[in-house]
Amino acid sequence: MKALWFLIPLYLLPLLVKSDVVLTVLIFTFVLGILAIGFNIVFGGAGQLTMFHAAAFGIGSYVTFLSMLRFSIPFWLGYLVAVVVVVLISIVIGWICFKFRLKEFYFAVVTLAFAELCRLVALNWTSVTNGTLGMLVLEKPTLWLPGSGVIKIEQTVPWYFLTLVSLTGVLVFSALLMRSWIGRNFSAIRLNEDLAQTLGIDTFRYKLLAFTISNVIASFAGALYGFYTGYIEPAYLAVAQSLDAIAMVLLGGVSTILGPVAGALVLTSLPHLIELPAEMRVAVYGMILILVILLMPRGIVGLAAGLFKRRAHAS
Amino acid sequence: MTQVVVGQILNGIILGSLYGIIALGVTMTFGITGIVNFALGQFMMIGAYATWYFTDLAMFPFPVAVVFAVALAAAAGLVADQALFRFTRNNLVNGLLVSIGLISVMESGALLLFTTTPKNMDIVVAGSWSLGAITLPRMKVVAFLLLVAVIGLTWLGLSRAWLGRATRAYAQNPEAAMLMGVPTKALQTGVVVYSCALAGFGGALYASLFSLEPSLGGLFILKGVEAAILAGVGNLLGALAGGVILGVTESVGSLYLPSAFRDAYGLVFLVAILLFRPAGLFGGQK
Repeated sequence: MKALWFLIPLYLLPLLVKSDVVLTVLIFTFVLGILAIGFNIVFGGAGQLTMFHAAAFGIGSYVTFLSMLRFSIPFWLGYLVAVVVVVLISIVIGWICFKFRLKEFYFAVVTLAFAELCRLVALNWTSVTNGTLGMLVLEKPTLWLPGSGVIKIEQTVPWYFLTLVSLTGVLVFSALLMRSWIGRNFSAIRLNEDLAQTLGIDTFRYKLLAFTISNVIASFAGALYGFYTGYIEPAYLAVAQSLDAIAMVLLGGVSTILGPVAGALVLTSLPHLIELPAEMRVAVYGMILILVILLMPRGIVGLAAGLFKRRAHAS
Repeated sequence: MTQVVVGQILNGIILGSLYGIIALGVTMTFGITGIVNFALGQFMMIGAYATWYFTDLAMFPFPVAVVFAVALAAAAGLVADQALFRFTRNNLVNGLLVSIGLISVMESGALLLFTTTPKNMDIVVAGSWSLGAITLPRMKVVAFLLLVAVIGLTWLGLSRAWLGRATRAYAQNPEAAMLMGVPTKALQTGVVVYSCALAGFGGALYASLFSLEPSLGGLFILKGVEAAILAGVGNLLGALAGGVILGVTESVGSLYLPSAFRDAYGLVFLVAILLFRPAGLFGGQK
């Protein structure tokens, strides 16, 4: 939990930095960081390589927005509908995958297949999702704050705090989860599934739980992302989105608390730091990814932990 | 209607044999090095552009251009293996991420060199055969036969020659194979290079059939992985069969069902196979 003190400077940052670019990059970092934390729970926690988190991310944004439109309810109730949908989908897919004991590569491929099916539905169910064109999101999340009543989150600074608070909440949740008996059961499954089963851990149930929790967190990131950018499109559910989150987690450090956020920060700010034509930028991004995987196998947090002797290491 | 269906089946078979050659590379690499080289589609792209370059710009005859293209893809594979994949043996996730990085690098390289404008190669084998109302371009038939021949020869080589026995011994038990004098490091590199050469060959034939874009490889690796799993990972001839089944399912499926979901039929089929026959349709050759 000590790792969470690293977040305090971020709360003070808007007092010093007025640049919209910096704050925007950080907002994207926080939102994609939440997605990466979700992936880290199922992969870094329970050791299951899912490819479904981008689909959960996309479903989160689509269902939140569509239920807001249909039932004219506020953002948070809309998101609640999305949670119900994502939990149901996760249970069905997780049940199929884990009941048939799909592991590693096969689990990855089947979850990828389901994610692609979801993307194709978002792409082709034109009457509801508006197909490839995507949807413009003009509504904004509202919040009740003591003193100022119900406010709309519109400007950069309120968005900054909303996403930062959300990130903090998800971080605290994931840290508590990974330290609890549930998290220890996840680790047991990751380290040796057969042994975990022998010790009386219901591996099926815990894998399903990890998968569902991770997808719900991913859908939260999706809802925030869609409403912040004001635009929802089928590409949110694409393989590339899943891979981005995986890259963030590996870059930051698998099975660490802060790793996903560190990875998200580097990969989100990188394109803004290098001034290059678009093609070169993608190439440089690729090269950095390759170098990091080959040279820093334990990620940024792992490397920092090695340097500072257990200081940044929380799990 | 029958003619349309038969025509689609034939199209599916030809496209499926292209999936099959990628699937063969996937199956071999996964069995020996424990990773899937997701950049195989980009090696295919190298082969395709090289063939186009050598025939249309350098004016070589097509067979010579194919040889050059395969050699180029193999050389690129050797570089990639020595610089990258050597360090990710038996680490699926790292291999995946390294090949994704490689995809970005190779695709943006192709974009810089060739831009997004589609390139069309001159026709190699003109004309077509017609069976009743079905017309079949001769080049498609030639490409199909060549792909089947290469996959068949690979299977023959691996099941008859010493190298094949060594490869299968390694796939069954790496330590024991090492003790029996199998040069395991060379074997792993060889398999990665060979799979890239296969992809380059697929690309060369792709160039003679379709127009080229830098992003052409992305689709084929997904189909290749699907086909390999469909057949059962490790099954070499099954890779071809898996590719053909996938190609035919897609082509025929899009006749009767909305074609927007074309890519989904293969996936649904794949999930069903994995659930009820986890070792694949023809069983893995582990």
